[in-house]
Amino acid sequence: MKLFRYILLLPLLFSLSCGDVLDKQPLDKLQGENLFSNPEGVKLYMANLYYQLPIEDFTFFRQGFNWNTGDPNNGGFAPAMVTDEAVHTEFGDFIGNDDFQWWDQGYKLIRDANILIDIIPTLTISKDETKALIGESAFIRAYAYFALVKRYGGVPIITSVQKYDGDVEALKVPRSTEKETWDFVLKECDIAIQNLAESWPGGERRATKWVAYALKSRVALHAASLAKYGDRAPISGTAVDQKLVGLDKSAAAEYYKAAIEASEALINSGKFSLYKPTPASPQEASENYRELFQDPNIAPNEVIFIKGYARPGSGTGHNYGIWYQPNQTANGWPHPGRMNPTLDLIDAYESYTDPGKSAPIVTTETGNDINDYNGFNPAKTYKRYDDPAGIYKDKDARLWATVILPGTAWKGQKIIIQAGFIKPDGNPQLFGGESLSANGKIYYPYGAADRTQYSGFDTWGGNNTRTGVSFKKFLNEGVNVAPGWNQTVSDWADFRFAEILLIYAEAIVESGTGVAEKGAAALNQVRRRAGHTKDIPLTIDNVIRERRVELAFENKRFWDLIRRREYHTLFNNTLRHALIPVLDLRVTPAKYIFIRQAIQRMNPSTFDYRQYYRYVPGIGANGLVQNPQY
Amino acid sequence: MKPIKLYISAVLLTFAASACSIDNYPAPDSQLFGTFLDAETNEPIEQDIIRGSTIEFIEHGYDSQTKQTMILKNDGTYRNNLIFSNTYTITPVRGNFVPTEPQEVTVKGETQLDFKVQPYIRVKDVRIEKVGTKVVATFKIQPTVINNVKKIGLYAHPEPAVGEPIRTVLADQEINAVADPNKVYTLEIDVPSNSSNLKTGSQYFFRVGALIDAPESKFNYAKAIRLTL
Repeated sequence: MKLFRYILLLPLLFSLSCGDVLDKQPLDKLQGENLFSNPEGVKLYMANLYYQLPIEDFTFFRQGFNWNTGDPNNGGFAPAMVTDEAVHTEFGDFIGNDDFQWWDQGYKLIRDANILIDIIPTLTISKDETKALIGESAFIRAYAYFALVKRYGGVPIITSVQKYDGDVEALKVPRSTEKETWDFVLKECDIAIQNLAESWPGGERRATKWVAYALKSRVALHAASLAKYGDRAPISGTAVDQKLVGLDKSAAAEYYKAAIEASEALINSGKFSLYKPTPASPQEASENYRELFQDPNIAPNEVIFIKGYARPGSGTGHNYGIWYQPNQTANGWPHPGRMNPTLDLIDAYESYTDPGKSAPIVTTETGNDINDYNGFNPAKTYKRYDDPAGIYKDKDARLWATVILPGTAWKGQKIIIQAGFIKPDGNPQLFGGESLSANGKIYYPYGAADRTQYSGFDTWGGNNTRTGVSFKKFLNEGVNVAPGWNQTVSDWADFRFAEILLIYAEAIVESGTGVAEKGAAALNQVRRRAGHTKDIPLTIDNVIRERRVELAFENKRFWDLIRRREYHTLFNNTLRHALIPVLDLRVTPAKYIFIRQAIQRMNPSTFDYRQYYRYVPGIGANGLVQNPQY
Repeated sequence: MKPIKLYISAVLLTFAASACSIDNYPAPDSQLFGTFLDAETNEPIEQDIIRGSTIEFIEHGYDSQTKQTMILKNDGTYRNNLIFSNTYTITPVRGNFVPTEPQEVTVKGETQLDFKVQPYIRVKDVRIEKVGTKVVATFKIQPTVINNVKKIGLYAHPEPAVGEPIRTVLADQEINAVADPNKVYTLEIDVPSNSSNLKTGSQYFFRVGALIDAPESKFNYAKAIRLTL
């Protein structure tokens, strides 16, 4: 009887299985089909793709992108510190094998873009919207593959979502040649250019036709330089034999042509111009240039593409505002002053009195010893200055806006950078020691009594510059950044019209094609905005110097040295240099002298040929051919 | 109850014991060493310790053709004291000598493998002396190939590993021409104008080198000489 009752219950039990009460939909996540069936969902998805774009901004450093979540403590490192632009206050690291990798994240972004690309034809949206999506996803893929090809050479080109059906081997895509990969990036740029509109109705910071042109000109110039200068650093190995790395010299012409055409499209569009292109004085030029980076939104005609930082916090703010303040304006943050611009960069800036060439800082009356880095020499007659920034007089306005020079004002304070003094008896006392009384005054080695009142050379905390200048570009003079992580919200200009003008000039002079006068005009337009009134001829040295100066700290120098194959000659047992301001007490009143010397506590750096390409991670599993010498 | 507990612990102990069986693979128990010798003069070929000539070797018996590398010491010797006994394909690459073919070598126990190669350049008749306040080097360079000589240099460093990549002071000269083997080249380093790196009374190593114009070639050197300034 009992058994019978149980049997009766069974149908009830089975009937439950017919319903889907157990197939719960997650309440906190969107399902794929729902996401893409709704235009808002597509927008959300797109925001995530843009977030993943490898934009080399404030949160980019040698270990990756978006370094502002989780633990954002990168020691205040910036990519500039492995170039001749700057050094870190404490560390002397150069490029390591694992630096500047972007493989897994790259293919994640590409897969995410491919998911969208595969689904576009199925969406019920207007023709214009479809076109925009096609353009945008091509732009994202171009951006991603550009980041891959400049690191690894030829890479596997995956153009649709891979599906796993039990066969791992089917998922393995071999590397394309480097040429094929560059051509693929340029082709994706073209798709983006053809499909994207000139602007977004709400002015959103999304890719437009013009951003795609800007990307294309940057990509084409990079590829062209590799083709032209690859033989400066020959490499060998399987990857070279299979053309997975390296471009033929003959490819340079077509790439330079593409760079000229893409930048010309932007120049001829009439939509872009430099921000405040004709300043009345160098002072005005300097202030304009500073404001441009403090907030690139003030210059919609110059800034083509912006990555924004909206609010302080993990993932939404960055850390330039804390790491790079001079020690005096640390505002309670214990680790300021990390970025130390080098004398090597400072030397590159032109002077207004003798334009058209680098103007190395001359420290002595004879002026024939700019390559003497041996330190103080009592036999020399040093130039003496009342003003600790006096030696920088007449240097390009952009220097004053890029670095904080000794004795200049920042956030209402006089920034004191002093390495020591020459005692009345003629002996130097540099980098520390006791204070000294002379002429009825007390002199402190670092220029002030308290360690919160100066910003140079004291090794305490690694907070004081060791090159003689502090960092200014991008920093906001009007904002006191709270002493915590991710509190800075200034925006990053990823593409600026100035870069386009310089790409145009470089492509013309390097290829010997195009109209040289137009190239010279582009170059001089950028210089004019910096307060230069005398035009200089179009030469490759002039263009490269202008790039170093105009684009300093915009994370371009690293790739310029890579693409032009100049890294191994520039960094060959190479020391970087400082210009140290020293108070000369041999005269009354005391005056400043300056000494060119190697940066304290730095070892020489050497660039290895193989570092022109990063190693391909995971070849044991993905079966790819490794890059040479790894 | 008691016997069960006993059995369980006994079984567990057996598992535990069998789980940690001894790793019975052989350790890297062989040594591979040798010298790069000039095939003509039988003298060791001087090298750079960083960014210098390299030996690539691939261990047989595995699918992956992973290349391992060894670097050379300044005196042209190399040594690896922890290498597995096995057969290897060994190739000297990116060196300061004419490239050679890969060779298959069985490494077992103390294995000596010398390479007889043709250095790109022989640096001859080297004299490095202190003359007044200068260090003066005179030497001849004799290329063994028809390529241009790219550059010659005199390098100084406190350590005997001195060379083009390891130096605190240098005096170099671009040649970019076919070198005349009988010409005497002179390079000078002025001591006072390098006072922060060359201190009077201290000892430094000086070495003369020359670079051939060939892809991935490395400097050829004479032996380093120690001088007291």
